[in-house]
Amino acid sequence: MKSPTTKSKLEPLSQREKVSHLFSRLAFGARPGDVDKVLKTGIDAWLNEQLQVKPSVNPDLKERIAEFETLDLSVAECSEFISSNNAGRDATEEERKASRRLQRLPMGELMQAVALRAVLSERQASEVMIDFWRNHFNVSFTKGRQIFSQINDYDREVIRDNVWKDFPTMLSDAATHPAMLNYLDNHLSRRPPSKQELQAIERRAKRKTGSKTQAAEAVSLATQRGLNENYARELLELHTLGVDNYYSQNDVIAVANVLTGWTFDGGRSGSHEYKFDSKMHVEGNFRVLGKNIREDETGDNGQGREVLEILGKHKGTSEFIAMKMVRYLVADVPDEKLVMKVAKVYRKTDGDITAMVREIIGSELFFARENYRNKFKTPFEFIISALRVTAAEITSLRGLENYLKDMGQPIYHCDDPTGYYDVAEAWLDPGVMALRWQFATDLVGGKIRGVKVSDAFYQQVPTDSSPRLWQHHLTKMVIPGGAGGRTRAALTTVTSEYLEKTKTPDFYKAAPTLVGMLLGSPEFQQQ
Amino acid sequence: MKNKNKFETSRRRFLQGVGAATVASQVPAFARTFEVGQAVPAAIGANGEKSIVCIFLRGAADGLNMIVPYGDSSYEGHRPTLAMDLDDGLIRLDSTFALHPALAPLESLYKSKRFAPIVCAGSTHGTRSHFDAQDWMEFAAPGNRTMREGWLNRYLMATKTESSATFRAVAIQELLPRSLRGTFPVLAVPGNATKKKSNKNLDIFERFYGDSGGMLEGGEMANMQPDNDAAGVVESGRMTIETLRRFQEIVGKAPTKRSGDVTVSGSAYPSSRFSTGLQQIAKVLKAGEGLEVAGIDYNGWDDHTGEGGVEGKMATRMTDFAQCLAAFCSDLGPELDNTTIMVMTEFGRTVRENGNTGTDHGHGSAMFVIGGDVKGGKIHGDWTGLAKKDLYQGRDVPVTTDFRNVYYSVLKNHFGYKTPQEFFPDFRPQEMRSLY
Repeated sequence: MKSPTTKSKLEPLSQREKVSHLFSRLAFGARPGDVDKVLKTGIDAWLNEQLQVKPSVNPDLKERIAEFETLDLSVAECSEFISSNNAGRDATEEERKASRRLQRLPMGELMQAVALRAVLSERQASEVMIDFWRNHFNVSFTKGRQIFSQINDYDREVIRDNVWKDFPTMLSDAATHPAMLNYLDNHLSRRPPSKQELQAIERRAKRKTGSKTQAAEAVSLATQRGLNENYARELLELHTLGVDNYYSQNDVIAVANVLTGWTFDGGRSGSHEYKFDSKMHVEGNFRVLGKNIREDETGDNGQGREVLEILGKHKGTSEFIAMKMVRYLVADVPDEKLVMKVAKVYRKTDGDITAMVREIIGSELFFARENYRNKFKTPFEFIISALRVTAAEITSLRGLENYLKDMGQPIYHCDDPTGYYDVAEAWLDPGVMALRWQFATDLVGGKIRGVKVSDAFYQQVPTDSSPRLWQHHLTKMVIPGGAGGRTRAALTTVTSEYLEKTKTPDFYKAAPTLVGMLLGSPEFQQQ
Repeated sequence: MKNKNKFETSRRRFLQGVGAATVASQVPAFARTFEVGQAVPAAIGANGEKSIVCIFLRGAADGLNMIVPYGDSSYEGHRPTLAMDLDDGLIRLDSTFALHPALAPLESLYKSKRFAPIVCAGSTHGTRSHFDAQDWMEFAAPGNRTMREGWLNRYLMATKTESSATFRAVAIQELLPRSLRGTFPVLAVPGNATKKKSNKNLDIFERFYGDSGGMLEGGEMANMQPDNDAAGVVESGRMTIETLRRFQEIVGKAPTKRSGDVTVSGSAYPSSRFSTGLQQIAKVLKAGEGLEVAGIDYNGWDDHTGEGGVEGKMATRMTDFAQCLAAFCSDLGPELDNTTIMVMTEFGRTVRENGNTGTDHGHGSAMFVIGGDVKGGKIHGDWTGLAKKDLYQGRDVPVTTDFRNVYYSVLKNHFGYKTPQEFFPDFRPQEMRSLY
């Protein structure tokens, strides 16, 4: 497909291309002026500033985030918020509707906050890595109502706060968070009840119902409670080692047993926080990945902790995490040598995320021509970057939710524990393009509720030059790395058509159409 | 490429209604009542093209809760809370099996011998990872990590001719199922991409993506060609434009119906996402534009908790699924004779229920084959019973029918396409003679 004049793979990226690449991979696109600024201050300075923990100081973002009521709530507070908005028994239909809306508020606010931060935060590298971890340790609102109170806290405490820390910390924080335990059913996984417990259940049911048959039913129901392998399997397959890598079905069952009792204190009067319930725990020693994991004799969760520690230090984990990071930041088919190098950094630094990201960016592959603009944007990346390059004015991002849903990537709604994929293969289907074009033309057409590309954006482009130069400037704003021949030719056609049929041409009137086209162009789909 | 010719020939012969013994098997059951040699009446479909509708139940659907082995002596013991009996409303199929009550809408298809359930079906690979199992079932290559072409895409590629209809395959959802991914271009049409207003966009973006051939070759333009410009994106955009236009034409032409409306043939579609997808597929199939393969997913069958028996999360889902499917079949009308509907899932679930009135990842499940030319009305596949000693690894339903044998049999009997040896890597398929 490539024409013979394609720039040679050996030709290094120009400085402008490099900076634009940086804003593609460690940011969700460049806002107007970003690339020029970094061209002056240098790439290293930008990286040093970005690869560290620092809150965003963007006052606009701060103000918006502050408007949300539920973002800072703990799981317990959020549960209270939701249950306090229960509609009473005699509630009218109207009241019920209002109650449903309020109960969904934490979900709606979090979805908005994720998108707002991705668009507005100047801590772009953090947001990009947060997106990575959010998908690696996926949880989803589709699980059902109970999780509505749990994900806001999870997003803040497990994902955002850990973004530049180390992998084992994040792993352990995820493993002890109600949202994860709920999402993958571990909170229900337990040893079968003992004889005494069954007798107690029978007595209680009899006292309550006064019926022998109902008591017997309660007992038969209780007998069925037991092990649930869901979390144990995904912990090995998706969170640490990678599928069928170093482990077997026996390990899955052993880990499931070890993690029985890892639950949370639910119920009306509960703390809603993680707790280790020794009554649910299967006692005994288990063989996990060839090691005998002994029961914690203090009656606490030490056995599970030990398994997490082994997984956090495991070579398989270092390789799997390194592979995923390289795939995310460099290319869909990750270079094996680079993966091994990054895995080594993982093992040397106990999974230090910053060190691994630095290793990747420092490698010559990161800025290699073959990796320049070679990754297809996910729908989320596409939409967020469109809002960034156009410096869209945002009053609300609710209008975006339907677009993301139609494109198959609504925020925190990925049913599968894999999280959303980051490779072209998962997204580059023909139908998807129609939706992207729709979004592009709707955005510049002012058809998306709460989002507007301002006149000021278009006015940044000088109009006192020739149409060709004007078009060139406009292109540079949307695609800082420059557009290709076909795209330019198409734009030229549109511009000249417009000039031909208009007696007193006004560039500002033609600009939205052109920007819409650029957002829908092949170049803009790539990062 | 031998097979391509064979396929084309038999197809053309069929269309011409040439009387020959080899052709008789190609003639749909409905048409068999007509004298061989007589032109097939237009009523059976615009041109008598055959098609497959491939439905994937994602999440590993519990076959035992669909085709319920109520007559198996071990069944109840494994599932004290989930187990059901005929008294609970199970629909008896034979002395061992019954349909789950929620699948009642499929009963008449079974009775009219168009619905063939296959028990103990699936992949013999031992993986219990959803994602591997789905990939491998859709690539028809368990354990193989290099195969990247979906099994239906391989069929489309192998039988591609110059004169092939441009609209041979479609998926009605945002993203293509893997079974349709691959070299042969297939369009994924999200349910709402058929709105009229997107037509204007197709005109606009044709300038970037349309087939403008030589523009990039030589001359000034070539010098402006960017590096790493995504050829894949351009190709995908070009296809979007071409096929979406065609799709809109077809679907726009067919009378539109709202969910819940009763179609001419008396089918009532429920209102759901799956329903919308099937309705669009039905429109395209009935339009007779040469659609051969349609794919659609039904998500959410991973019932670790609250799966339930007569009532429960799975029963609710099955109700929608069965109502949609029954409506679809009745909507197709006589066209059902030209259609084979396949229903599959990546693996089954544990025979024993878990602690949360659900089931965990297992091994064998069930597959459904539905259509006019299928020998339905009886249970297919070898059933080995649920005694612990007969279970796979002592816990799961074994697989006695490899899913690839079902693929093979459907392709061979329904499409008249005999897969070449390399079609299924490292596997020699066996025809399920009972199926057609």
